[in-house]
Amino acid sequence: MEKGKISALQLAMMMYPAIIATAILLVPAITAHHAKQDMWLSPIWAAFTGAITVWIAIRLHEYYPKQTAIEYSAQIAGKWFGNIIGFVFLFFYLHASGIIVREYGEFIIGNFFIRTPLLFIMGSMILVCAFAVRGGVEVVARLSEVAVPVVIVVIALFVIMLIPDMEIKNMFPIFEHGILPSLKGAIIPQSWFSECFLIAFLLPYVANQQDGKKYALFSVVAICLTLVMVNFTVLFVLGNITARFVYPVMSAVRYISIADFLEHLEAFVMAIWVAGAFLKIAVFYYVLVLSTAQWLRLTDYRLIVFPIGFLILLFGNWAAPNVMELSHFLGTSTPFYLNTVQTVIPLLLLLGAKWRHRGKKA
Amino acid sequence: MQFFKQRRKQTNKENVPAMEREHKQPEAVVLSADITQNIQTLQTIYENCCDVVFRSFRIGGEVNATILYIDGLVNVEQLNIAVLPSLMTKQAAEATTLASFLKESLPVSSLTTVQTVAECIEQLSSGSCVLLIDKQPEAVALSIAKWEKRSLEEPTGEGVIRGPREGFTESISTNLSLLRRKLKSPKLKTKAKTFGTYTQTTVVVTYIDGLASETLLEEVEVRLSRIDVDGIFETSYIEELIEDNPYSLFPQVINTERPDVVAANLLEGRVAILQDGTPFALIVPASFYSLLQSSEDYYQRHAISTMIRWLRYLFLLVSLLLPSLYVAVLTFHQEMVPTTLLLTMAASRELIPFPALVEALIMEIVFEALREAGVRLPKQAGAAVSIVGALVIGQAAVQAGIVSAPMIMVVALTGIASFTIPRYAAGIALRMLRFPMILLAGSLGLLGVMLGLLLILIHMATLRSFGVPYLSPMAPMQWEEMKDVLVRVPLWKQNKRPRLTGTKNRTRQAPNQKPDPLEGDDQLSKGGQS
Repeated sequence: MEKGKISALQLAMMMYPAIIATAILLVPAITAHHAKQDMWLSPIWAAFTGAITVWIAIRLHEYYPKQTAIEYSAQIAGKWFGNIIGFVFLFFYLHASGIIVREYGEFIIGNFFIRTPLLFIMGSMILVCAFAVRGGVEVVARLSEVAVPVVIVVIALFVIMLIPDMEIKNMFPIFEHGILPSLKGAIIPQSWFSECFLIAFLLPYVANQQDGKKYALFSVVAICLTLVMVNFTVLFVLGNITARFVYPVMSAVRYISIADFLEHLEAFVMAIWVAGAFLKIAVFYYVLVLSTAQWLRLTDYRLIVFPIGFLILLFGNWAAPNVMELSHFLGTSTPFYLNTVQTVIPLLLLLGAKWRHRGKKA
Repeated sequence: MQFFKQRRKQTNKENVPAMEREHKQPEAVVLSADITQNIQTLQTIYENCCDVVFRSFRIGGEVNATILYIDGLVNVEQLNIAVLPSLMTKQAAEATTLASFLKESLPVSSLTTVQTVAECIEQLSSGSCVLLIDKQPEAVALSIAKWEKRSLEEPTGEGVIRGPREGFTESISTNLSLLRRKLKSPKLKTKAKTFGTYTQTTVVVTYIDGLASETLLEEVEVRLSRIDVDGIFETSYIEELIEDNPYSLFPQVINTERPDVVAANLLEGRVAILQDGTPFALIVPASFYSLLQSSEDYYQRHAISTMIRWLRYLFLLVSLLLPSLYVAVLTFHQEMVPTTLLLTMAASRELIPFPALVEALIMEIVFEALREAGVRLPKQAGAAVSIVGALVIGQAAVQAGIVSAPMIMVVALTGIASFTIPRYAAGIALRMLRFPMILLAGSLGLLGVMLGLLLILIHMATLRSFGVPYLSPMAPMQWEEMKDVLVRVPLWKQNKRPRLTGTKNRTRQAPNQKPDPLEGDDQLSKGGQS
């Protein structure tokens, strides 16, 4: 169905924005709420989920090297039950894509285009993503390769430009209440890391399989480091009021003022972030379209790109009645929801695959 | 390679029988031994053609013969002074057989015997004289072609400060000779084909044997073989018929007037297509970055070339984005502008009746119109255009209160920026994309600019040129190739051919050629010390 091949580096480049894009917006506030000044530590704990998920996906991939999660779940759990698991994945990715699009839309509406209809903002983005998804995995991968370095450079630039406003004192006292708050702060971000399970759908198309594992773990480390850096920046600039902002990074960016010329760069940051959000939505969208086509045993996935885009728009609209509900959902339910589908079910699948292959492997 | 196979399947499917067309190929009638009949056949074919000359005479005063040629394609002087006298002299008749006489005594280097009428016509059209002799069932074509040619000139579209100044001309033989003078190796192959039912234009595919990959050659061959048109006047005709995505705004083939550019590209394993009648050669495959490279990048010092390349990348973004960013910032994100500048801009826009979007669109369209007029107008009117242009995009427009001064700056800068792109076709693609970008900026601000940019990137990521991804080597990333994209590394570091085109015979030159006075030739430095 998908004839394209991507490189391991491209896989890492796709995974990075697929997690970072929304994490960078929402995670600092959620982490700060629980971990206070230890918030910089939380992403490191959270990354363990990412590493475990990647490990599960890779082990499953080793059992079924040419298949995606949809295909091998039918092999592991039997035709009937496997199809149900496949449908759970499908529905989950449809809902997740909807939520991501909604997060994107709410961010744009809330900060910049207060009077533009949400549906238009979400719809225009889904349309752009649909063109990328129609191009196939190679196109999404190439776009990541072009955009991700720019995103990384811009993040780094903003951290550097914020240095004059940083108060290193803000991070003290470390471990005021022991290690527990930082662990608590990691509960929500770790559900973002479980999205690493996306590689289970992309690994079969990686040309250099050996490097695939290395780069998948490399992307987890890169995401972790980026989040640590961003959390540090936000903590140093905003201090203990971080938790009060919905989008602390944007609030921190407002502090930038260099030579009375480089000021008010929020809109610019938004534009760059839109590129990241685009990649995140495109990767989710692509995985959703590909797995739907596989689940329905279609010969070509391009036919269903636009219909599914429409569904994503609907789910984005239904995801929550307003931004407060959305934040509440993200701040409370996600660990159970995301982890169940993206870590626990794959783990069960892995155990099933091990049981199926018992005795076969030396 | 998978990609090509897939494509081929598609083309085979589309292989519907060609439409019946009125023009028939000249029939393959064999020449008869009777000269009058031959002359009659040819005269009916060339009825109402005043430029075809039939000159009857007797070889050595005995054998009836007719020489025919097309006036203006043949070197008449040579015909009069060398060919006709030697045919008319006495010995000619005495020669045992005419064929051996012609071979031995006629002062013409290239003789071809032709058997059919069709061949006669072909020879006549390409500037040969055809000699019909009585009682001979075959004619002789004497190649003494000569027609008016432009002399070698410096290419106007691709000027350089340092580098060879000769450019291709309209004559294919001159162009091939220019190329052959640069690449003297017999490995330089030139395969001729003829296209166009009426124009019968010669098209030559050149490559270097052992450097160009077979799949590429085969692909070029297959795509060219599909061409069946009635006329070709410029390589752009071929370009439009062989490119990968015919609807794309971006050129997927490099075109150049410079023999040195063609030669250098052939050395990188690419294939060039030359055509008789135009100085523009096509080079395939192209990538987006290859369109941003000028030949002079390799003739200037490497650090300077690197800097110029970065300047070009910057101005590429300027030419695409500056007007839309200006509109977006003025319409949606005024807070981004520093206060003092914002005040100046607000003051200058105080009396302007249009919103920034309309203002930008008007000025950009006017600029494009001026540019087009400047190219198309007769030279005598050129001065008028520049005077009017300076008035329209200039102080007068500002004083009239129609546009603001910053907008003039933006439009002028954008115009200049688009000309920093060495390939005109790539520059014009970006200039066209500017308009939808301005509209997006006017309706969605920076978000719109970003969405537009993403759409352009998606399109570019989907494009391929003869199997090579258009954005390579950036995406898919090939770090090794960045030496000729992000920077221009010194010549002594370019030891490998580009990976995408030079897969065969990758090593380009001997390693360790970095000049170092301590290595080898240290006589001078020693001498200097003593």
